[in-house]
Amino acid sequence: MALAKTVYDLLFRRTSTFAVTIMVGAVLFERVFDQGGDVIFEQMNRGKLWKHIKHNYENKEE
Amino acid sequence: MRGAQGRLSSSVSMMSLAARSGVFSPYMQATAFAVAGPLKPLVPGVVVKAEKFLMDPKKPFLCRETLSGQSPKTGPAVTVSINGCAGVRFAHTDIKVPDFSDYRRQEVLDPYKSSQESSESRRTFSYLFTGVTAVVGVYAAKTVVTQFVSSMSASADVLAMSKIEIKLGDIPEGKNMTFKWRGKPLFVRHRTEKEIEVEAAVNLSELRHPELDKDRVVKPKWVIVIGVCTHLGCVPISNAGEYGGYYCPCHGSHYDASGRIRKGPAPLNLEVPYYEFPDDDTVIVG
Repeated sequence: MALAKTVYDLLFRRTSTFAVTIMVGAVLFERVFDQGGDVIFEQMNRGKLWKHIKHNYENKEE
Repeated sequence: MRGAQGRLSSSVSMMSLAARSGVFSPYMQATAFAVAGPLKPLVPGVVVKAEKFLMDPKKPFLCRETLSGQSPKTGPAVTVSINGCAGVRFAHTDIKVPDFSDYRRQEVLDPYKSSQESSESRRTFSYLFTGVTAVVGVYAAKTVVTQFVSSMSASADVLAMSKIEIKLGDIPEGKNMTFKWRGKPLFVRHRTEKEIEVEAAVNLSELRHPELDKDRVVKPKWVIVIGVCTHLGCVPISNAGEYGGYYCPCHGSHYDASGRIRKGPAPLNLEVPYYEFPDDDTVIVG
């Protein structure tokens, strides 16, 4: 509860800080969401992507 | 009992009209008959007191609100007894007050409890919910706008076609080679020391389109220009003309070894594209 009050007083109480909070939150959320999505995609396609099988072909050339 | 009231009000107005209209009253009277409704009252209604109606016939009838205080506006008022009127108003007696408990928060369900105790947690939750929604909304809007804008930019194959890489070792000194770049001829000229000296010494006052030779080249050995005559767009011939550079056969424009117009109808020097040397033997144009 104390945390909620601190967050409310610091971030939500003024419209200016609320807007700044939303903008900064959007940037952080974008990073987390996009990179998390990429990680999940690569987990589901493990062994099928070029960067997973690239070393097989590089060894042949050398 | 609308019939009774209608009859009364029309007769009141009728009377005033009849009093005022004089000779026309027999004709005006035709409008005074009230049409009986299909429902018959159990006990025939009786109009008891005429002075109840405070009609002001001189008040102009402009809109519905003008009638306020002059005409009954609250649903059906029924007179059932012979002795007097017993108004029965149905409005606000049969309407159930809706229960919004399902839509209220748990903390404020009890009307006898102070809402101030829970106000902090409630407003924190509200602002948090709003903030999270706004964050997701901003992210979604940014993604949509970015996708739309990037869909208008050039695709990868177009970008790949827009550059040309030239091996300079294949071009002997004093020779000019023509390449195709963005659908236009591109001249790459390997200049001799003598040509470099001559072009560097040219006085700017002799030139129609004054440009220094060192501003038109990155390395003095290599002149790279677009091979389109600035007059009407012909392709000039290299190592020809009075100045030893380029000569346009269409209308006789003479360019020097730096691609500058020296004689003939062309107004401008040959255009120099953007290019860079990643190493000594390669040039990338575009």
